[in-house]
Amino acid sequence: MIGTIDVAFVVFSVAAVASGCGVFRVDSMIRATYLLLASFLNVGAILVLLLAEYLGVALLFMMTAEMIVMGLFMVMFMMNPAGLNPMNMVHQPRFAAAAGVVAAAGVAVVAVFADFPDAPVDAESDTIRELGIELLGGSMLVFESIGVTLMATMVCSVILSSATGRFGDGYEGSVAPALEPGGDHRPADDLYDPDAAMGHSMHGMDMGGMDHGEMDHGEMEHDS
Amino acid sequence: MNEVEQLSAPLAIVVVAAVLVVGVYVSSVVDVVAFRSVAGQRLRPGSAALHPARVARRLSRQQSVRTERPDMILRVLAPAAFLGLAAAAVTVIPLSPGIVVADVRTGIVLFGAAQALAIVAIFFHGWSPNSPFALVAGYRFVAVALSYELLSMFVLIAAAIPAESLSIGAIVESQAGLWNVIRQPLGLPLFLIVSLGVTFSGPLDLLDSNDLAGGGSVEDSGMQRLAWQTARHAMRIAFAACTAAVFLGGWHGPVLPGGLWMALKTFAVVALLGFLDVFVARISAERFVRLAWGVLLPFAFLNLLIAGVGAL
Repeated sequence: MIGTIDVAFVVFSVAAVASGCGVFRVDSMIRATYLLLASFLNVGAILVLLLAEYLGVALLFMMTAEMIVMGLFMVMFMMNPAGLNPMNMVHQPRFAAAAGVVAAAGVAVVAVFADFPDAPVDAESDTIRELGIELLGGSMLVFESIGVTLMATMVCSVILSSATGRFGDGYEGSVAPALEPGGDHRPADDLYDPDAAMGHSMHGMDMGGMDHGEMDHGEMEHDS
Repeated sequence: MNEVEQLSAPLAIVVVAAVLVVGVYVSSVVDVVAFRSVAGQRLRPGSAALHPARVARRLSRQQSVRTERPDMILRVLAPAAFLGLAAAAVTVIPLSPGIVVADVRTGIVLFGAAQALAIVAIFFHGWSPNSPFALVAGYRFVAVALSYELLSMFVLIAAAIPAESLSIGAIVESQAGLWNVIRQPLGLPLFLIVSLGVTFSGPLDLLDSNDLAGGGSVEDSGMQRLAWQTARHAMRIAFAACTAAVFLGGWHGPVLPGGLWMALKTFAVVALLGFLDVFVARISAERFVRLAWGVLLPFAFLNLLIAGVGAL
């Protein structure tokens, strides 16, 4: 007997796997990001089918926000203007293919041979409350530690990659060294362009670009 | 808790469609009334009432321009998804006592998910025509949207605390004695800012404004433009209805039936958003991002603190 839920499960599963495959076949960071989002959305829908209502809807919400952040920050940090440069999303293709086959085989073995518990959730039971008790009870230390660690990681990555970091202009470290001891640390034909650097720093998260350097063309343009 | 009547599927579709059709019409009329009355232009009621139909007729007969190598799937998906997400958001909002299209226990989380996905739809709208100005507008919108995304979630969670439930119906019921606009005075203004952002109007019209080189809609014409405008008004209705339910007491009110109160409050919020769209000048993206993280987010935390202390 095949019900609506079975059909929905198959549709969402196929869509999740198909868009997951698409992530590695497209040639753009933005397309890969949003195909990954499509895959997550389908997984969220499957969680809702399993009556993990809060987890499913929260997955939709969190993954959407997360993929928006990921897409924007990847394009911002990876020197790929607007995410338009074609790029291959796969590294070490042979190793990746072998690892993929092994992992898929492992999952398939578990799916076929494991003895899954048959404990359907009562639609009336208050799963949201039980989840809340779990998150803020026995597992609280784990979740709070992970949360703080992730937060620190995000803040640090932004600080490290912003053009104006804590220790001054981020471009300082990226210019060529002096050709002779005591010489100007920038050769005349260096591509370093203070105007561009100033204009760029204004795009960063840290808006302290006004502190160093005079008001120049880059800033004027930006303020207008 | 009251017995909640779950509408049957065909009736639910009719109700959502009716809310959106009436809402989009009213919201477009509000736009033209707001613009003309602020501009001091003479306003004939008949002319204003027919305005949306005229715009629709003109755009549906206009030539449709095709850009060079557009991303056709996303170009079609963007307005459809934007409209569909507005419809999904409307389903979790109770329209009158005990009548809600989908009485899910995670109502505000689903609303938040629809809002987050709307940002993706808006980005696709900028990305898909393969046109530089539209693309810039899409990225600018996303960068700004990330700054108010958190606001919306904190504000909605604060409203859920006195109700002890994530269901919007329960949030409305919790306001029987005291509306959230008074109990959590910071919630309504913060949520209005989010509403202006997701419907890209007024101070946060950083997507489609004509003087930003056409913005995300620079390549839109004909039916494409009509679909996008319709979806934007539908999203405004979804946010107005959510504001009315979560902050203005939903169906609570004297004398009149609950459904009518809900409609009146939703209309009031639509009118407020329409007039703010005309009155308040656009803020530059950089200034808004600083304001959002430096001032508005701390206010959202304060709002959460007020709600938490009130619940103790």
